[in-house]
Amino acid sequence: MVNWAQVFVNSGITGSLYLIGAVGLTLTYGLSKFPNFAHAEFITLGAFFGYIVAEPLGLGLPPSLVVAFLATGLVGLLCYRVIFQPLSKKGATIIHLMVASIALGLVLRYSIGAIWGWEPLYFKTSWPSFDIGMIRITGLWIWLIFVAITLAIIMHLILVHTKIGKAIRATNSNPELALASGINIDRVILVTWFIGAGLAAVAGIFRAANTQIWPMTGWDIILPIFAVAILGGIGNFYGSIVAAFIIGLAENLGVVALMALGLSTSYRIAIAFIILILTLIIRPEGLAMLFRRS
Amino acid sequence: MEEVLLKIEEVSKHFGGVYAVNGISLDITPGKIWGLVGPNGSGKSTLFNTVLGIHKPDEGNIYFKDRCITNLVPHQIYDLGLVYTFQVPRLFQALKVLDNMLVAGRGHQGDKLLFSLFFRKSWQKKEIELAEKAMEILELLKLDHLALSPAGELSGGQRKLLELGKGLMASPTLLLLDEPAAGVNPNLGRSMFERIEDLCQKGLSFFIIEHRLELLFDFAHWVYVMDKGKIVLEGKPQEVAQDPSFFHIYLGDE
Amino acid sequence: MDPLVYVLDFIVLVGIFSIFSLSLNIEFGFAGLANFGKVAFVLIGAYTYTLLSNINVPFYVCLIAGATASAIIGFLVSLPTLKLREDYLAIVVLAFGEILKVIVKSEDWIAGGVWGIPVYPAISVTGSSARLDMVINIALVYFCLFISFFLLQLLANSPYGRVMRAIREDEVAAEALGKNRAKYRAQVFALGSAIAGLGGGLYAQYLQFIDPYMFAPMLTFTIWIMVLLGGPGNNWGALLGAGLVQLFDRGANIVKDYLTLPIDPSNLQYIIYGILIILVLLYRPQGLLKESQVKTKAMESIFNGRGFAKNRRG
Repeated sequence: MVNWAQVFVNSGITGSLYLIGAVGLTLTYGLSKFPNFAHAEFITLGAFFGYIVAEPLGLGLPPSLVVAFLATGLVGLLCYRVIFQPLSKKGATIIHLMVASIALGLVLRYSIGAIWGWEPLYFKTSWPSFDIGMIRITGLWIWLIFVAITLAIIMHLILVHTKIGKAIRATNSNPELALASGINIDRVILVTWFIGAGLAAVAGIFRAANTQIWPMTGWDIILPIFAVAILGGIGNFYGSIVAAFIIGLAENLGVVALMALGLSTSYRIAIAFIILILTLIIRPEGLAMLFRRS
Repeated sequence: MEEVLLKIEEVSKHFGGVYAVNGISLDITPGKIWGLVGPNGSGKSTLFNTVLGIHKPDEGNIYFKDRCITNLVPHQIYDLGLVYTFQVPRLFQALKVLDNMLVAGRGHQGDKLLFSLFFRKSWQKKEIELAEKAMEILELLKLDHLALSPAGELSGGQRKLLELGKGLMASPTLLLLDEPAAGVNPNLGRSMFERIEDLCQKGLSFFIIEHRLELLFDFAHWVYVMDKGKIVLEGKPQEVAQDPSFFHIYLGDE
Repeated sequence: MDPLVYVLDFIVLVGIFSIFSLSLNIEFGFAGLANFGKVAFVLIGAYTYTLLSNINVPFYVCLIAGATASAIIGFLVSLPTLKLREDYLAIVVLAFGEILKVIVKSEDWIAGGVWGIPVYPAISVTGSSARLDMVINIALVYFCLFISFFLLQLLANSPYGRVMRAIREDEVAAEALGKNRAKYRAQVFALGSAIAGLGGGLYAQYLQFIDPYMFAPMLTFTIWIMVLLGGPGNNWGALLGAGLVQLFDRGANIVKDYLTLPIDPSNLQYIIYGILIILVLLYRPQGLLKESQVKTKAMESIFNGRGFAKNRRG
C-alpha cells in the first residue's frame, strides 16, 4: 500500500534540495567551462557555517541561511580568484581545472575535518510535523520548499531584470560578443562564483538539517546534483529547475520500486546515475533545447 | 561528361537562426585548382567545415566520388581521400614537427593497437617511407630544419606552412585549403602556389579559400565568389576579376 | 616490525602503485583522458582476483581474469562519453565508482559486503618466514610491473603512441586526419583499466584481505598525484611519482607516530596533498620528468642516415 501522495510530496522536497544545490554548479560550469568538483565542499561548508550560527549562537534557521550564503559565497569567490582564474590565465585545460577542483575539495574537506572532526554533528532544533490528510510534512521541509521557490524567483528576476543578470546570460551564451559589448567578464564570473557557492551553502544547511553535519555532507548528494546540471543542460538555469524535480521524482519513485523489489535503498543514488547516463546517450545537451535563452 | 569529384547540392547551415551557408550548389571536377573567395563572414570556412563533417548540414547533400558523405564524420571523409587544412592551424603542439606530419600519413598499420605492440616489423618500413615523404614536403616548405622542434615553437607563418604540409602529407584526392597563404611571406606564398600547380598536374585536385587574390587568380582554373552564404559569381579568374560587381561584393554593399 | 620487512613492504607497495600510476599515465598522460574513478577498476581487479582465488583458481589465471574484467567494464563505462568532451567522461567514471562502492557494500553475498573477505596469497611456501613472503611478492609484483612497463613503452614509441598524443593535443585535427577518436579512447581506456585491474589483483593477494573501504576515492587521487608529480606522458615519471608519494606517505606515518601536531596528521596529510597538487598545476604542470617523445627504430635510422645527429634538438 503505497502512499503516493507522500511520494509526490517527497519528490517536491528532494527536487527543491537538488534545485538549490545544482543551480550554482550549472552556472559556474557553464561560465568557466569546467565542472567544479569542490562544489560538494561548498555545500558542506554551508552546513558547518550554518551550524555555527544556529547552535552555539542559537540564532535559528533564517540567520544561518544568510550567514552561510554570504560566508560560503566569499569562499567560493576566493577559490576562483586564487586558484581557477590564475590556472585559466596560464592556459590550463579543462582536465587541469577539474583536477584542481578535486584537490581544492580535498583541502576544504580535510580542513573541515581538522577543525570539527569526523564525528557527525546535528542541528538541535526540532521541527514540528504536520499531518495533512495522508501527507506528513515537517516544518523544515516547508522551509526548504519555500526557500527553493523564493530563490528560484529571485534568480529569475536577477537574470532577466538586472544589469548583472543580463551580463551573466550574455556571457554564458556568447563570451566574445559579451566582451565586445563592454561587459566586464571578470566581474560576471566572480559574481557567478559567489552566488553559486552561496546557493550550495543553503542546500548544505537543509541537507544537513535533514540528516547530519559531517565533512562528507556535500559529497553525499553530489552525484544527483551533477545529474541535475547535465540533464538540465550545463549553464542553463531554467533547465536545472525542471531537471531537479524530474530527478527528485525519479528518485522517490525509484525508492518505492527498490523497496518493492526487496533491494537496499542505498541504491537510490544509482537512479540519478542511470538518468545521467541516459541523458548522455540520448541527448548530451540535456533539456537545454527546450529553453532557448536569448 | 567529366566525372565530378565533389558535388555540393543545395547545402545550408545555420547557427541560431543565422544562415552561414545558404543553398550552395557547386561541382568540383578533378585535376584542377578551384578557388573560393569572398569577404569575411561570407561563410567560406563554414562551407568547408560542413563538407568535412565538422558541422552537419541543415539542408542539402554532399557527394564525394559519387558517395553521399552528408552524414559522415571527419575521419571517414579523410579515408575517402578528402582532406582539409584549417584556417587557424590546428597543430599537435607538444609533438615534433615531423611527428605532426607523420600523424597525417595514410595507411599506417602501426596505428593499430595490436600491430603497434606485437607485429612491429610490419610497419617499420612504412614509417621510414612516410618519414622520407614528410621530409621532402618539409624541404619544399622550407621547414626541414625544424623537423625535430616541437610544433608549439613555430612562428605564425611557419604554422601555416606546417598546416599545409599536413594536408599534402595525407595523400588526398582532393585537398581543401583554407587560406594557405595568409601570414606567409609573399615569395614563399608564390612558390607554395607553384608547387600546388605542380602537384595538380600530377593528379591532385585543390579547392582553395584565399584572400590573397593576386596569388589565387594566377593559378586557379575557376573561381567561386561567396557573399552572405550564397554563391554570387563564378567563372575563370580573369572574368571574375573584370566583373563589375566583384569589387562591390568585396567592399560590402551598404 | 622487522626493519628489513618494513623496507621490503615499502618496495612491494611502490611496485604495486607504480602499476596503478602507469595505468593512469596512459589514459591521462598520453591520451588526455580524465579518469577520476581509477579506484573502481582497481577494485574490480581486486575482487575478481579474490573471488576466483578463493575457489582455487591458479593465481596467474586470477590476475589475468581481474585485468580482463576491469578492461571490459572500463570499456562499457566509457561508451556513453566516447564522442563527448573530456569532462563528461570524468563525471561518469567518478559516478560509476560511487555506484560500485554501494553495490559492493550492499550485496554481502558477493564478497562479505562491508566486512570484507580474506585473500589467499598467489604463491605461498609452507613454513616460510615473513621475509621470504616479501621477496616472493617483490618478484611477482615487479615481474608484472616489468611486463606492463615494457608494453606501455612499446606503445608510447609507436605510431599508435603518436596518434594517442595527437588526439590529446587536438582531437578535431586528429579526426580530420583520419583518426577515429572514439575508437582510440575506448581502446586506451580499456587498456588502462586492464592494467589497473592487474594491479588490483596483486594488491589484494599482497594484503591478504580486502573490504570496500580500502578502495576509497582517496586512492584515485593518490594515483593522480603520482602521475602529475612524476610527469604526465612519461612512463619513467609515473614510476618516479609512485616512489615519491609512497615515500611521503611513509614519512607522514612516521611523523604521526613520533610528533604531536596541532592538527590531526591524517587530515593534515590530505590537506598537504591537495595543496601540493594545486601548486604543481600552477607552477609545474609538466611534472618532474618531461613528457617523452615518440622514438621508433625507423625514425632513428632516418636521422642517423641523413646526418640529423648534428642538428638534433630535444
